[in-house]
Amino acid sequence: MNDFAKRTSIGLVASSMAFAGLAALSTGSAMGASPKSSSNTISVGTLYASTGSFATSSLPEYAGLQFWAKSVNAHGGMYVAPLKKKEKVKIVAYNDQSDPATATTLYNQLLTQNHVNVMVADFGSVLTAPAITIAKDQKQLLFDVTGSGTSFFSNGANPYVVLTSLPVSAVWPKPVAKLLESLKTKRVAILYCQNDFDQAQATAIQGFLKQKGITPVYFQGVPTTQSDYSTLVQSIKATNPDAVLELGYPNNDIAFLNELKATGTHFKFVLTPFLGQLPTLFSQDVGASTVANTYTYAVPPTLVINKVNLGLGLTAFVHHFAPGKASTVNFLDVAGYNAGLAVQAAFAHATSMSQLGIRAGITAVNGKLQTLEGTFKVDKTGEQVGELLPVAQAVPHGNGYVLKIVYPATPSQKTMVNATPIYPAPTK
Amino acid sequence: MPDQPTSPTEERFNHENKVGPHTRIARGPTRVWGLPSRWGRWIRRLAPIVLAPTLLGFAPHLYNNLSFLTTMVVYVVLAEGVNVLYGYTGYLPFGYVGFFGAGAYGAALSISYWHVSGFAALAIGGLAAALIGLVLSPLLRLSGAYFALATLAASQVIYYIVANEPWTYGESGTSLPEIFNANQAYFVALGIMTLAIAVTVFIRESHFGLSLRAIRSDPVSAAMAGINVVKARTLAWFISAALAGLAGAIWAIMTAAFYAESPFDLTISVYAIVFALFGGVRTVLGPVVGAVVLYTLYQYIGISNPQYFELVYGVLIILLVLFLPGGLSSLIGHSGNRPRWLRFVTSRVNRAPELLSGTGQPIPHPRASNQDLGGRENGRDGY
Repeated sequence: MNDFAKRTSIGLVASSMAFAGLAALSTGSAMGASPKSSSNTISVGTLYASTGSFATSSLPEYAGLQFWAKSVNAHGGMYVAPLKKKEKVKIVAYNDQSDPATATTLYNQLLTQNHVNVMVADFGSVLTAPAITIAKDQKQLLFDVTGSGTSFFSNGANPYVVLTSLPVSAVWPKPVAKLLESLKTKRVAILYCQNDFDQAQATAIQGFLKQKGITPVYFQGVPTTQSDYSTLVQSIKATNPDAVLELGYPNNDIAFLNELKATGTHFKFVLTPFLGQLPTLFSQDVGASTVANTYTYAVPPTLVINKVNLGLGLTAFVHHFAPGKASTVNFLDVAGYNAGLAVQAAFAHATSMSQLGIRAGITAVNGKLQTLEGTFKVDKTGEQVGELLPVAQAVPHGNGYVLKIVYPATPSQKTMVNATPIYPAPTK
Repeated sequence: MPDQPTSPTEERFNHENKVGPHTRIARGPTRVWGLPSRWGRWIRRLAPIVLAPTLLGFAPHLYNNLSFLTTMVVYVVLAEGVNVLYGYTGYLPFGYVGFFGAGAYGAALSISYWHVSGFAALAIGGLAAALIGLVLSPLLRLSGAYFALATLAASQVIYYIVANEPWTYGESGTSLPEIFNANQAYFVALGIMTLAIAVTVFIRESHFGLSLRAIRSDPVSAAMAGINVVKARTLAWFISAALAGLAGAIWAIMTAAFYAESPFDLTISVYAIVFALFGGVRTVLGPVVGAVVLYTLYQYIGISNPQYFELVYGVLIILLVLFLPGGLSSLIGHSGNRPRWLRFVTSRVNRAPELLSGTGQPIPHPRASNQDLGGRENGRDGY
C-alpha cells in the first residue's frame, strides 16, 4: 500500500468514525436510558446536575419532579384534555453537570432527538438561560422552576416560558421592608452579591426604604464568589446598623454567618435569603446557636399550605416524600413537585396537543390553581406573580431553632403568622 | 564534478552512520500523495480547507442537534487557536478562555448597545479578543508554567471585571433573542472554522510558520538566524486570540442568553487544549479530528451513561495520552512521530527506511532518540 493510499484510508476511517459517532448520537437515546416518547405516554424532558456548583440545589428539585411523576403514574397517569384520557408520564432526563454549555446541547437533545412534549428547566438562572432561548426559538413550552432572572421576562409577552415556583426576585423584599418599617429601624445596612438574583433584591429594598425616607447606611455589592467576609463585617459594624441584610447565595450566606460566629459580632437584625430554603444545611454548616434569631424568607416547608386544589398539600407531601424524615425535606423538593403539578394542570386544561394548546391550559388555570406553594399565577411574560414570600425568623427552640413566620406578605397570609419578631435579637 | 569538501561534523556523522558514496539518500519528494509534487502540494493545502467544512456541512442530516454541532465546531476553532499558539510557538495558554469570553462579550455588548448585525458583532468579538491579546502581550516575556499560570490568572481577572460590572450585564446576564438563529449560526461557525483551518495551513506552509517552528525549537538560535522572535511570536498570539474571539462571538450569538460564568468557564480552556493535543498539535487536521471525535464522545457518554461520565471520559483521555502522546495525527504522520508501541507494530508490517547506510542498515531517524513529551520536537509536521 503506498503512502497516499495509506493516509487516505486512515483519513477515511477517521471520518467514518466521526460520522458513525454522530449517527450513534442520533439514535443514542434509544440505546441509552431515555427512550423516545411513545404515543401512549407524555414525555417531560428535564436536566439535572449530579456534580458541580449547582448539584446540591438541582438534585432535590429533580427528586421532587420524579416524585410527582411517580405519584401521577400510581394513579393511572395524568388527564390529557385533548386526548380525553389519562396518559402515563415519562421523565426524560440528562445530566448537565452544572455546565451551561452542556445544558445547551442537552436541551436541544430533548427537543430534536427525544421529541419531548414539554421541557422542565434545571435549577437556577444560569442553567435555565440556555433553555429560554431554545424555547423561544423552537416555540417549545418550558416550565422554568427556579430561574427567576429578570432578563428572561423583560422582552415582552412570551407564551413559551412559565415560571412555576418563585416570583421574580425584585418583589421578594417588599414584606422585609414593611417589617423593618414596623420595627422602626432607621439604620439599615445592605450587603449584596453582584448577580441578578441578589442585586435585584438589593435595588428593590433600597427603593422601598427610600419611599419611607430611609437611606441605607451601608450599601455594598460583592462578587458572588465572595467567601471572606471579615473586612466587610467590620465595615458594617462600624456603621452601627439597626438591621443588616446580607443578600447572597447559600455559600455567601453561610460564609457571612460563620464570620459573625468567628468574630462574635452581634447585630440586632440579620436577614439571609437561603436560610428558609435550606435550614438543614445552615444548621450543619453554621450551627443552630448562630442561626438563631436570623430572619429569612419563608418558603415551603416553613410556609405550610394544605388548602390545595391539585396534588398534595404540604403536610401530605412531606409525609409521602420522605416518610419519617420530615426534616430532610427542603424547598427545592417542593419546587420540583410543584413544577410537575403545573405540567399536570396544563395538560388537564389544554385545548390541543400543540405547544400553544398546552400553554392555553396554563391560561385556563391561571390564578385559580392552588398548590402547596400557594396561588399559581403568571403574567403575560411568564413571570410568576402568584404568591409573595412572608418573612420568617429562626426562633430558638431547645438546642436548635424553629423557623416561624413573623410577618405576612399579603393580608391572606396573616393567619399563617405564628410568632412575634424577636427584636433586637438578644446577645448570644 | 569533484567532491565537495566535508566539514568535521559531517565526517563524524558519515563515519558513525556508515554513510559513503553508495549511500542512497531520499531527496525532496517528487510526488506528493501519489501526484506530481506541484499539484500534490496544492491539493494537500486545499484538501483540509475544503473537506472538513464540507463533511461537517452534512452533519445536520445525521444529527440535527444544532446546539451540539455548533459547539463542536466552536471547539474545533478553539483547538486550532491553541494549535497556532502552542503547536507552533510552544506557549501553552491555560487562560485561553479569556479570549473566548472577551469575544463572546464583545459580540453581545455590541449587539445590545449598538444593535449591529451578526457579522459586525463577529468582527467586533474577534477584535475585542485581539485587543485583550494586545493588553496581555507582555505575558509573552514569560515561558513554560509561568506563562500558563499567568494567562490563567489574566482570564480570571477579565471574568471578574465582566461579571461584576453593570455595563456588561454581569449581574443580569445577556439576552440576545433578536439575533438568535440556530441554523445560520451553525453555518457561520463552519465559515469561521474554515478560516481557522486556512490560517493553520498558511502557517504550516509559509516562512512565517517556519520561523515559528524555529522559535519553538530554540528562540536564541532563531534570533541569531535573523528571525524577529518578538514580532513572530506576538503575531501568532494575536492570531490565536482573534480565533478564540471569533469562536466566542459565534457562541454568544448561538447561545443568546447567558451569564458571565458560561463563556469564562475554565473547562473551555481545558477542553480546547485536550482536543488539540488529542488530535495532534502542529498539524492542520489534528485539532479538527480531536475536537470532533472527543466532543462527540463527550455528548454520547453524557447521554448514554451520565452517571459514569467523568469516569469514562477521564480514563479514556488518560489511556490516549499514555498510548498516543503525539495525538491521533501520529497514526498517519511521519513514522518517526508515531509512539514506540505503534512503530513496533508497523515495523513488523512494513519496513521502509528512508535512509540506508552503505552497509544497507537503516540510519536511525533523529527523532527516535530526541522526542519531547508530545513526541514531536524536530519532527516533520503532518496533516
